[in-house]
Amino acid sequence: MQTQTFDAFQVIADPSRRKMLFMLSKDSMTINALAENFDMSRPAVSKHVKILYNAGFISIKDIGRERHCILKQDGFNELQDFINYFDKFWTIKLKKLEAILNNKSK
Amino acid sequence: MQNSVQQTWFFHRPPGEVWDYLTKPELIELWLMENDFKPVIGQKFQFIYRPAKEGAAPVYHYCQVLEMVPHKLLSYSFRKGKSEKEYTLDSVVTWTLTGKNGGTELQLQHNGFTILKDVVEHNDGWNFLLNRLTERLKVASNADANV
Repeated sequence: MQTQTFDAFQVIADPSRRKMLFMLSKDSMTINALAENFDMSRPAVSKHVKILYNAGFISIKDIGRERHCILKQDGFNELQDFINYFDKFWTIKLKKLEAILNNKSK
Repeated sequence: MQNSVQQTWFFHRPPGEVWDYLTKPELIELWLMENDFKPVIGQKFQFIYRPAKEGAAPVYHYCQVLEMVPHKLLSYSFRKGKSEKEYTLDSVVTWTLTGKNGGTELQLQHNGFTILKDVVEHNDGWNFLLNRLTERLKVASNADANV
């Protein structure tokens, strides 16, 4: 099955997926248990779960006949990457500003 | 989990001059990005990044001046996304200038990183989620370490 891949921000921009992460932050849950909390079809829930899985926010473990969703760190590392990205971004920009201002004092 | 960018720089130029490079569009562009900044509280403006790669779409940053004390403090919101309303990243950039040793100490704080697309539905907001997850992941990694 073809599923879209999203970056971390797109993944958590969706309220249903955010709610799923909220719930999973308390404890791991089966897809069925998750689905009971949402007013949407089971395939729609599965689709969101797949997006969370593809983005590294959760892992899925088959236990017996049930599929368990467990929170994972990778997706959140990507958010940290964003902050690191801006740290580098500003360093590069401010170095440029420094060069301009230093040139002026000569 | 660290949730902000903080940097301190020192320039051998007076605060008024550094201030110009933070508030005059043609000077901002020299070191940061194309923009239509206006030094007025509440003023909306944009930073536009045009990738060098041919055919690549420009990236817009939707901003609004939040606070301003000439030569001392400037703070603006900094949003990234498809449009002003459909943004995926919201944050706040704050510049603080202090005259020191005949030059200027410039402090940058870039924080308040949030995903705000539907903040009304989720009053708890993203920070709550992040905190919970950090806690949860700490527990998980401790558990891993004990294996």
